This record gives sequence, structure tokens and C-alpha cells, in this order.
Amino acid sequence: MAQTSAERGRCVTGVEGLDTVLYGGIPRSNTVLLTGSCGTGKTSLALEFLIHGAAKGENSLFLSVTEDAEKMLANIIPYNFFDDDFVKSGKLVFIDLPVMYERLGMTKAELTMEEIDLLVTAIVSLAKELDTKRLVIDSITSVCYKLKTSEKIRDFILKLSKSLSALDCTSILVSEVSTQSSTYSTFGVEEAISDGIVLMANMERRGDLLRTLQVIKMRGTMHSRAKYVLDLTPEGVLLVPLLKGGSTRA
Amino acid sequence: MKFTTIGVKALDEHLGGGVQKGSTVLLMGTPGSGTEFFAKQFASAGEEAVTYFTSTERDEDVLSVMREYGWTTDMAIVNIGSKYYENVLAKKLEISRFRQEGITLADIRRFGEKDVHREENFLTFLSYEISKLDPPFRVVINSLDFFLENYDSAEVLMAMRTIKAHTQHSESVTLMTMLKGVHESRIQSSVEDLADVILELDREKIGHEFKKYMIVQKVRNRPVMVGIIPCSFDETGIKPS
Repeated sequence: MAQTSAERGRCVTGVEGLDTVLYGGIPRSNTVLLTGSCGTGKTSLALEFLIHGAAKGENSLFLSVTEDAEKMLANIIPYNFFDDDFVKSGKLVFIDLPVMYERLGMTKAELTMEEIDLLVTAIVSLAKELDTKRLVIDSITSVCYKLKTSEKIRDFILKLSKSLSALDCTSILVSEVSTQSSTYSTFGVEEAISDGIVLMANMERRGDLLRTLQVIKMRGTMHSRAKYVLDLTPEGVLLVPLLKGGSTRA
Repeated sequence: MKFTTIGVKALDEHLGGGVQKGSTVLLMGTPGSGTEFFAKQFASAGEEAVTYFTSTERDEDVLSVMREYGWTTDMAIVNIGSKYYENVLAKKLEISRFRQEGITLADIRRFGEKDVHREENFLTFLSYEISKLDPPFRVVINSLDFFLENYDSAEVLMAMRTIKAHTQHSESVTLMTMLKGVHESRIQSSVEDLADVILELDREKIGHEFKKYMIVQKVRNRPVMVGIIPCSFDETGIKPS
């Protein structure tokens, strides 16, 4: 692995291949947008990032919006590197964000600016309490639907990433885009204000549907911008360079 | 004509024997005029099974007043006020705490993560509870103000129409109280229009004293019966003076 003597510490994702692409890992305390259409492996990759963190003794927090946290947990048990004890010992914590909405009385379809501040404060105070070093929000797009305007989305992501960064917490915001989308995020704002963008996509080749991953941007490090093929195995996500030879179309 | 008592003898006589069975009675007054007191006297009278819906008092407050006056308390009390407190106000208090202090993991786990429940619609609850009553019933709704404050007026009127129709078809009697002069005049007129009988408690300051009146504002199809009855309150309840 090409461990460079970067000034900033790295948050080693533990994902086979991804750390190489990033020259050692995500620069610590970055907020990264993990974006792609459905079925591209975003949630799996984000979960793996957290599990590897928990295995290294870094407290990890998964804020689930779309899926039930318990269901989520059931899905990751097959991974070989997953250990029940991570959850039991509180190294890996799953929380349904809608429960937080409910506790904070945010039942309306759209949050006010004041409520956005309150939500950020609540998430940050939770991260502080749990001494969270790795955080995933799956998905930020679902949160954005409650924010509606780009000003509010901007405000929310900026405040959140700033506060989490101050806690030395590295965050992944999962973003859902439609298959035909030419932007990296549904609302267009998310991509502009994150420290990094990792794009996941489906690519059809010779009748196979390949999952691909590409690091578009990452502040604080050099990185490859090549497209990699992703394999989801019981050992976790496996990244291999996309072999261009033999393809019928680019 | 089949009548049932309104709970105040003099008023029954004035109305020619009480209110017709199936009537919906609207009782209005300014704060302090004694509408809640009248409602309790109404609840202690008649042959029907009584259900008392309250949004303002605790059960024991309703009962203790009635016992004090020696009125029968053989009735069911449905306390919308305390349900509202438990479901809405207590929750608002807790929300303000979470908003102020943030949420801890224990707060999130405390209730179990599955209890994201909806706020109860008390208007639907009221209609439903009344629809379940065995006729003939005697219902007190104290007060409509609670519903008008919390729900869209069109919804409240629709619920009142439903309750009125149910009261009418089952030859029962329903009394609802409403503050005078606090709601939009359009809403107040609609409620007045819906009621078969409208009573009002009023007072007038003369020198150092109040002169009190029971006013019969409306009796459906009996315009001759409207009128003003001077009254007073003593240890037996409301009396003509």
C-alpha cells in the first residue's frame, strides 16, 4: 500500500483497494458524499467502513433514514469480518433518524431553519456522547427531502460537517441519484459542499452488470480518478481496476 | 310531544315541559357566567344514561362540585383534557427538553424504537365515543372551544352535525358549551344555526351587584319561547329569581 507521509491523518476505510486509491484512506474528519443509483452498493460500502472502524476500536455510528436499523443489522451479519460484540459493546451503534425527528417534534414535512440547527445540534451531541469517530447517514437524500430548499440543504450539510469535523469524526453521507442523472446529487447542492465525492454506478458489459466505483474528488489527498470494478463478497467489498481490454464499448 | 328535562325546573316550565327529545342544545356565556356549572346540573338530571366529555377539568373536580350540590353523579366522564395532556402537552414538554438539551442514546432507546405514533385526533375520538353510546343518552360536551381551538372549523362543524344527527335519530339529548364572542362570527353563527335550542347565561352590573339572566335565544320552530329569565345561583343550583 502506498502510505504517503501526508500531513493529515488518514481514516483507513479497510475496504480492499479503496485505501490504495486514496493513497492511504480518507483524510481524517472529511465529509464524503457517497453517491450512486440504487443497487450500486453504497450502503454495503458505508457499512463496511463502519465495521472496519469498530474493529479498529473507533466508535462508529450509523444513522439510518430509509431502512429500519434492525433490518440493517440483519443484513450485515453474513460478513466474515462482522462481530456481534461491536454492537453489544457500543462500538457500532445503529439509530433510526426518524426516531430523532419524533423526539424533537419534527413531524412536519418541512423543517424550519431553527429546526435544522436543532437537528444538527442533536446529532452532534449524540456523536459527542458516543465519542463517534466514523459516522454514516444513509441517506442524506432522504434528509434533504425534509429540507426542500437548496439554502436549507447547504446550511444543514455545512453545519453538520463542520461540527463533526471539529470532533475529528470522518463522515460518509450516502446520496441517491437516479440512473440517468448527470449530477452527483439529487439536489445539486450536496456535491458542492462535501470534502469528497465517491461515485458508484452500474455498468453493463457483455451482458454482465458490473458495479463500478470512482473517486471524483477528495480534499486533502491525491487520489486515482480511474474507474474500478467492485465485487461484493462475504469478505467485504473488493476493488479491482476496470480492465479496458476486451470491452466492446467503452 | 316528547320532552326531556334541561336540569333547571323553571327553564323546563318556560320551555313548555323541557326540551324535545332529540335536541342538541348550545349553551353559551362569557367566562365566569356559569356555563360549566349549568352543564353539571344538566348532567345530573333526566332519565337517560349520562356521558360527560370534559376538556377543561379533572374528573375529580367535576364530581366534587356535583357532590357539593347534592346532585347525582351517576355518569361516565370522558376526560379529553387529560388525554390531551398525556398525548400532546406532556409530549410537547419533553420535546422542548430534547430540543434544549439534545438527545442521548438512552433517550432514543428508552421507548423502544418502534413507538413513533401519530397524534390522536380528539375530534374523531369524540364522534366515535358518542356513536358507541346506547340510546337514549344524555351527553355533555364541555367545551366546543377546545375543538375549535385545535381543529379546523369546518371539521368541527362536520363533527357537530354528525353528533347532532345521531342525537336526533336516537331521541337523545346533547348539550354543548361554547364561549361567547371569542370565535369568528361566521363560526359562531354556524354553530348557532346547527343547535335546536340556544341558551345563554348573561349578567349585568347594576351598582355593586350582578343581575343574572338565563336567556332562551332559540327554540327551533317555537319562536314564541325565546325570552329572558332573571336567575340566581344558590346551594341547590340555578334558580329563577
